[in-house]
Amino acid sequence: MARDQGRPHRDELRIRARQQEAVAGLGQRALAGMKLEHLLDEAAATAAQELETEYAAVLEQTRDGRGLLVRAGHGLPSGVLGAVLPAGPQEMPGYALQSEGAVVVEDFGEETRFGPTALQREHEIVSAMAAPIGARGRHFGVIGVHSASPQHFSPDDAHFLQSLANVLGAAAERARHDDALRDSEARFRELADTAPAMIWTTDERGLVTFVNAGWMRFTGTTLEEELGATWTLGVHPDDAPALQESWDEALAERRPWEREYRLRARHLGYRWIADRGVPRYVGGRFVGYVGTAIDIHERKTMETQLARGYEQEHRIAEMLQRSLLPERLPDIEGLELVPRYLPASAEAAIGGDWYDALERPDGRVALVVGDVVGQGLRAAATMGQLRNAFRAYGLVEASPAEVVARINRLVTSGVEEAMATVLYLVLDRETGEVTFTSAGHPPPLLVAPDGARFLDGGRSVPVGAADTAVFREGTALIPPGSSLVLYTDGLVERRDVPLGRRLDDLARVASPPERDLDRLCDRILTGVLGDRVPADDVALLAVRPKPVPLDRFNLSLPADPGSLVVLRRRLGRFLHAAGASEAETYEVTLTVCEAAGNAIEHAYGPEDATFEVDAAFEGGELVATVRDSGSWRERRSEHRGRGLAIIKGLMDDVEVAAEDRGTVVRMRRRLGEYRAA
Amino acid sequence: MTTPTEIAVERRSGAIVAHLGGEVDMTNAGRVREELLASVPNEARALVIDLSACRYLDSAGIEVLFDMARRLRRRRQDLRLTLPSSSPLKRLIDLTEVASTAPVYETLDAALDG
Repeated sequence: MARDQGRPHRDELRIRARQQEAVAGLGQRALAGMKLEHLLDEAAATAAQELETEYAAVLEQTRDGRGLLVRAGHGLPSGVLGAVLPAGPQEMPGYALQSEGAVVVEDFGEETRFGPTALQREHEIVSAMAAPIGARGRHFGVIGVHSASPQHFSPDDAHFLQSLANVLGAAAERARHDDALRDSEARFRELADTAPAMIWTTDERGLVTFVNAGWMRFTGTTLEEELGATWTLGVHPDDAPALQESWDEALAERRPWEREYRLRARHLGYRWIADRGVPRYVGGRFVGYVGTAIDIHERKTMETQLARGYEQEHRIAEMLQRSLLPERLPDIEGLELVPRYLPASAEAAIGGDWYDALERPDGRVALVVGDVVGQGLRAAATMGQLRNAFRAYGLVEASPAEVVARINRLVTSGVEEAMATVLYLVLDRETGEVTFTSAGHPPPLLVAPDGARFLDGGRSVPVGAADTAVFREGTALIPPGSSLVLYTDGLVERRDVPLGRRLDDLARVASPPERDLDRLCDRILTGVLGDRVPADDVALLAVRPKPVPLDRFNLSLPADPGSLVVLRRRLGRFLHAAGASEAETYEVTLTVCEAAGNAIEHAYGPEDATFEVDAAFEGGELVATVRDSGSWRERRSEHRGRGLAIIKGLMDDVEVAAEDRGTVVRMRRRLGEYRAA
Repeated sequence: MTTPTEIAVERRSGAIVAHLGGEVDMTNAGRVREELLASVPNEARALVIDLSACRYLDSAGIEVLFDMARRLRRRRQDLRLTLPSSSPLKRLIDLTEVASTAPVYETLDAALDG
């Protein structure tokens, strides 16, 4: 059995390779978490096999340090396992325990450093080798091989045994940690069970290793049911997916985890709990999570109810406001009109901003932008009332100050208190004259071809601020090609920047020439607000009178009675711009429409028939032509006969001609004086 | 775009006063006639059409006035008109000789006094 001395070199290499393989195997198993006693057994067997000895044993130092317990062995006689040997340095194990590396005895007969143990003596051991397990000062024990026949141990053999010992040392150290952990865990659980809170722990894979008595009192579950991958056990189905996801994320990054969710409680249905876990480390090693949960059901349900009520009000206010704000403003002849509405963040309450535009009976256009003080349902409702009041008074009253004064009277005589800032402006599209009253509102912005500036004047108190209030008017003449921008203060109000500077910003942003009114609005909104979601709602209304051709009027319309009102509006503007009086404008418009009425009645095929109206000044005379694709017929009805009489009576000269493609009515009228009767 | 018209009807000292506001043209003349007729009960002695707030009236509108006068006369009721001389409609009303069938007054009070 014992190896001969002077082995061939090739064998040495082979043996060394096998020994290295054995050490590596043991190391792998230690790393894989093999239990210490199994590792000790395997180490003893491996040592005996590789070093070709009858016996191998692993001894562990007893707690008091005075003995060495035989924990594992190979080839040991019965009764030896479990025996305690003295740990003194006068015998081989005790000596080896204190040494730096493996201790080799080729022949006990010649050994002087120490003597054999009683066991070695009893089994007539001749040769032996022993290596200390564990670092100096924190020794675990000793591993040794023993042979009754003389044995030579090479330095490689000694190195091999020491390597095995080192693996065992590391494994023993790890086991000691685990034991300590288990001890503290046990203490922790004891404490946790007496605590009133709900407490849980997991292992490093996130599997539940423990829930305390408080948890089980809440859920009515048993410990067995709770252990393992039970993260969504008893969790409300609506909350479970998000909970699992948040837990997986936290675990992957070993971050603290926190969540409020509904958990099924014994007898009580689902209750809201706030659950929070933090990663635990032992000796720098992540070992899992420990967490606590508390019942927050009362607070949560109150919050939910509040939130639900708030959401509902928000929804209603939004709906109300949307229904009150026109989807699109009326088409107003000769005016480009671009409204914008930018709600504040979705969480914010709905404001009471509005805008509106209407055409007055005198041909001027009334524009209004307002902001009701306050938010929510009431502000939205008040906004609706004010908007309608402005439409009503705006139609009747010509003077902006008078319109605003009437609204003020309406508000201050009301049951509910309300206050609003308003800019009300009346614009003459032809002359560019504007008259406006600003009731506590930021000034209107004039974007003229040579730059933007604010219109001064007309400053008054907000509507509803006082029952005795003075409302003033400002006036301005806006140059051709100008736009007006009306807005609410959500655009310019910001706590961190003074109002004056915000207004300067607005004028600067709006100054560069822009033909497209839509793009001007975009530029203003992005330029002033940037990426910021406004803190308050922003209403914006940009208008631009379309230039009127002064020298010539030409319009082609479908041969349909509905075209008459369009013709009246367009021709009326042309004549008004040319300086015709109100009566002249009416009379010319009427005669042209009478002629057009004929064209419409006589048109062939209603599908695509059209008529064309031309008007131009020749000298001081207006020449108007109505051309259709039909033929002029004699009157059939009395009022049609009257129509021609009207044309002839109101015009200086009328000529009806049949041309190739239809009938042409040519009319002349001198303006600036009545034709002699 | 449609032609905007409003008719406000009130009863004053035994007569019906219809304030005709807005515009009357061939697209809405028929309806205006129906509304005006419907607003006059049998016992009313007269219908006064107040044209002072009327901004546009065409030949179809003039035709309505003549027709109304005819129908009311058959019911032994008067048709009177109110039109201030400053109205842009003044020349049209003169030209079509509406006054020959329905007297035209400068003010509402004058029209009611008959």
